[in-house]
Amino acid sequence: MGLTLFLQALAIGVVNGALYILTALGLTLIYGILHIVNFAHGELYMLGAMLVYLLFVAMEWPLWAAVPVIVALSVLAGFAVERTIFRRLRGQWLQLLVATVGVSLIIQSVSWIAFGAQEKTVPSVLEGVLLLGSVRVPIERLAAASIAMVLVAILYLIVYRTRTGLAMRAIEEDEETARMPRVDTDRVAGIAVALGFALAALGGVFVAPIYSINPGMGLEAILMSFIIIIVGGLGSITGTVVAGLLIGIIQAVGALTLGAEAAHVLVFVAMIAMLVFRPQGLMGRVR
Amino acid sequence: MTQPSSRALGPALILVLLVLPFVATNYWLHVAIVVLMNITYTVALCAVLRMGYLSLGHAGFIALGAYTSVVLSVRFGVSPWFGIVAAAAMSGAVAWGLGALTLRLRGIYFSLAVFAFGEIVVAIARAFDWLGGPSGIANVPRPSFFGIKLDTHFAFYWLAMVVAVAVVAFFARLEQTRFGATLLTLKTESSERLAESVGVDAAAHKTACFAMSCAAVGAMGAVHSMYLLFVNPQVFSFLMSTDLVIYAMIGGTTGFWGPVLGAGVLTALGEQLFSAGYWKTLVYALILMAVILVVPGGLTAVSGLWKRELAPRSGR
Repeated sequence: MGLTLFLQALAIGVVNGALYILTALGLTLIYGILHIVNFAHGELYMLGAMLVYLLFVAMEWPLWAAVPVIVALSVLAGFAVERTIFRRLRGQWLQLLVATVGVSLIIQSVSWIAFGAQEKTVPSVLEGVLLLGSVRVPIERLAAASIAMVLVAILYLIVYRTRTGLAMRAIEEDEETARMPRVDTDRVAGIAVALGFALAALGGVFVAPIYSINPGMGLEAILMSFIIIIVGGLGSITGTVVAGLLIGIIQAVGALTLGAEAAHVLVFVAMIAMLVFRPQGLMGRVR
Repeated sequence: MTQPSSRALGPALILVLLVLPFVATNYWLHVAIVVLMNITYTVALCAVLRMGYLSLGHAGFIALGAYTSVVLSVRFGVSPWFGIVAAAAMSGAVAWGLGALTLRLRGIYFSLAVFAFGEIVVAIARAFDWLGGPSGIANVPRPSFFGIKLDTHFAFYWLAMVVAVAVVAFFARLEQTRFGATLLTLKTESSERLAESVGVDAAAHKTACFAMSCAAVGAMGAVHSMYLLFVNPQVFSFLMSTDLVIYAMIGGTTGFWGPVLGAGVLTALGEQLFSAGYWKTLVYALILMAVILVVPGGLTAVSGLWKRELAPRSGR
């Protein structure tokens, strides 16, 4: 493989990885507090993309109106799901895990019924290709990845520079002790789930103009996200960011040299290798 | 299983299974075959659930069995009977490997790894033309039994029934062995430590149980492919794995009747009520959420609760 081709795959991998990170980060955040991986997370990503189609394409809303509405809806959904389901099942890991699968199936089947199986496309918002030497990167993907990175930075600030973020880290450390200085665990959990849902929905919003979309896309997203958080270390934000970029690059370079399906298998092998040699992930801690 | 009522119900169930093919129409035989396959899958899934691990990729092992037997019979002309045995061996061996790697980790890692495994099996089947690619492999041969080809519903019913009864009986019996009793002690992290402190090799027990469960669904997966007469990646999607989890959670994961009734009743109802998959998934998922939030132990736990708390005590 020529150097140019390799750099091209690298660039696409970094851009894709940045978009994977958005969905995976919410999973990590929710895991840190509830100690559960939220299977419904991929469906928020799917809903973000489908709602862009519904509002921006079908109802012809301007983007500046559509995106905030989508974010607001996903935040509301986050608080609602935390309150009605996660809070009631806290501590019962099996029931909680299966419940998130149930929520995922409900969202997915309702979407199939409402939107149909037809693939949908959202027209490009930004045309053009950026030339970096001989490497070509579509401006739309670059913009989406850049905004994704800004969102990641904002999340960092929330988790490491605000009182709510401090409470999140305290709960992750030790929930019992965190309750003693009167940390409102329920409120913090609600905020974490709402933040995670909003990030996933935004991930879906950004990919809508890049790929064709359908109600099954959430499953693909959740699979990649799981692999990323396992490789990065469950509960670690930095680990998720590093693993997201790494997996994006492995997948893009693998797809170029071995083909797309084989790249899929390669990513899975990376995950299994991580489970064998370093089960706590790149940055995770042993619990 | 030890209540007198259940003891009478077991032989009654066998009697129903023996008489059914002589009285049922072809349509009801079809329903019965699908029910038997799903009961087998769910009972095997519950064996893993009882030791505290949730497999979200059992469809991957069903697919592995189905593809193993189909590739052997279609590509190499091997007897379908041998295909069923090879399917069990293949699914069991792969599960042994995956289990050895992931079962020593906490439950959630296992669930994620097996979920990813299920998706990858399907991705591999889709990727290689030799495995049929996205459209799968058709013209799967059915076995013959002493010259009688199992190509009617009536004849095929017996194959499905024998495999189903064998698997269900195996796991029911397993519960009563020392090995099965040890498995139950591995359910939580602390009880596992306790078991290990008295010399139990927890990892070996868990891996063996997972391999047995997957070998069982692999064998039935081979039978499944012979019933359908084809295999393709869509059949063994994530939704198949979640259907099994739903049957188990709604019926209840403990005891003999939970998984059997959960899978049996829901499959029979599903065959009756829904032609579109999305509506079936939606209704199942709504029932699942209602059961989890109201009776987390599943519907058979309600009857257990009734017996324990409300029924007049019979001095034991």
